[in-house]
Amino acid sequence: MTTTAEGLSHSRESAVGEGAGQHHLSANGVTVHYGPVRALDGFTALIPRGVVGLLGPNGAGKSTFIKACLGLVSLSAGTISVGGLDSRTQSLRIRDHVGYMPENDCLIPSVNAVELVSYFGMMSGMTSKDSMQRGHEVLDFVGVGEERYRLIKSYSTGMKQKVKLAQAIVHDPPLLFLDEPTSGMDPQGREEMLELVTMIGASDKTVILSSHVLQEVEQVCRHVVIMSNGRLVAEGETSVLVAGQEDVQSLTIRGDESAIGRYVAALGRTCEILERRDEGKGQVALRIRGDETGRNVFRLAGENEVQVRYYRGERLDLEEVFLRSFKRGGDLGD
Amino acid sequence: MYVILRSVFKHALKSTGVKILLILSLLFIYAFQFILVLLDPHERLEASDMSTYFNGMGLAGFAMLLTAVVTSDLISGDLSGNSFVLYFSRAIRTVDYAIGKMGGALLVVGILCFAAPVLLAIVAIATQSGPDYGYSATVLGRTVAAGILATLFFVPYGTMLSSFTKRKSYAAVGTFMSFFVLTIIGNVFAEFDRSWRVISPAESLSDAFDWIYGQELPSYIDGGALAVFLALFMIVPTLILYLRLRMQAVGK
Repeated sequence: MTTTAEGLSHSRESAVGEGAGQHHLSANGVTVHYGPVRALDGFTALIPRGVVGLLGPNGAGKSTFIKACLGLVSLSAGTISVGGLDSRTQSLRIRDHVGYMPENDCLIPSVNAVELVSYFGMMSGMTSKDSMQRGHEVLDFVGVGEERYRLIKSYSTGMKQKVKLAQAIVHDPPLLFLDEPTSGMDPQGREEMLELVTMIGASDKTVILSSHVLQEVEQVCRHVVIMSNGRLVAEGETSVLVAGQEDVQSLTIRGDESAIGRYVAALGRTCEILERRDEGKGQVALRIRGDETGRNVFRLAGENEVQVRYYRGERLDLEEVFLRSFKRGGDLGD
Repeated sequence: MYVILRSVFKHALKSTGVKILLILSLLFIYAFQFILVLLDPHERLEASDMSTYFNGMGLAGFAMLLTAVVTSDLISGDLSGNSFVLYFSRAIRTVDYAIGKMGGALLVVGILCFAAPVLLAIVAIATQSGPDYGYSATVLGRTVAAGILATLFFVPYGTMLSSFTKRKSYAAVGTFMSFFVLTIIGNVFAEFDRSWRVISPAESLSDAFDWIYGQELPSYIDGGALAVFLALFMIVPTLILYLRLRMQAVGK
């Protein structure tokens, strides 16, 4: 039996899904302390609908932010609004319409997957019969087969991750928090999990995917929020972030050292050189601004006897976005 | 809350240890009494008879053991599995979780401490030969009160200890041993001053049953001190449990 993401969506009416306008979740100046440690430090972000990546190194405050959204940690300052509900005063209503897949191992080892998923379905207000039926549906969806009748303590890490996802979606919430969903999984398991996230995201749900694996976020997320040391350092559409600046070109040249020196000096007189990076073996990467047509780039290359190995409008991967964000906004790691 | 309560109850009744304890205790404490009530002609339900059933060390001993077994993994299981986060990501409050967990355990202990004696009293009334149903009904009411007290007495303490450890065995042994140690301490100090026996849970419970069935408390037992001890023994562990769960719920 195959269950599709569309089939999983029961169009559940919810306060969280409505009345929130374009943004599903907003944080305004959120500060959270664990004793003397400041886990979130004036964190402010607007998180739209769709699949959204929450990026940051370990200790950046991603998990704390998710817990704060669920009302599981007290805010020292600021406010969080989830679908128009205040996390401080309406946390139970928020939790009623949210699915949460925690990062750490949290499953009850002495029961099987069907019992666990249907148990948490009932905990979310479903009847015993409905939760059992729905439990089987979501276990089919995440790809847990006959193993569902074995005790969870005998499961591999990948299986446990799938069961964690199943319990998070059993009550068909419009908003899902997935905290490091691929943690501890092998490459094939990671791919399967990301495929599931994409399918869930395609069924008109908002998925907030917390991860420190940039490739995963780039693969499935439409919007990215980057945080460090409890603060926001960058956010935006993934396509916009990786597109780089409009009038900036990336250029790679190769030649002998003196030729490259003459070329760079000449190029510097016709346009602005933003960054120069020696890549070794006579190869240099440049970021330049002011020569969108490339006429001077190629003319000067001919005159100075250097090869142009690569030239195009700047396009970054998320790793570069991530690193540049930290250069601008904070330290990498805690 | 109801979902958790039902799950705890079902899970406990599936446990071999709980099943054995329940069968043994029901056989040991009540089987003979039921036969006696059915075969022995009696005028009415006597308070002294019911008081005797409650006051025998068998009920307190089995209740302690059953509580230790039932409550041992109530919280420690969720601690060792880090399952709190799954519970509290749902729309349930700490108090719902605590009541659900303790309620399930109370239902199991209630089979031994409440349902069985109340059923015994009802059977005795149904088979009585005399017309004094008013008195019998009074004794039945007192039996209900004694049953509630016996059921409520040990569970909060056992559940509290379960919230202090990730190991079920530590919680079970700790619960039973602390009841046992308090009993020994109470008895040792009672050698010097008999009023010290109030700190023995089993002895205090026994005195409380005497009082419920309308008997005089021993002269060396202060009624107020007994009431305070009984209340503290149930309320303080419940409060500590609540605070422990609050800390877990917010991830501290």
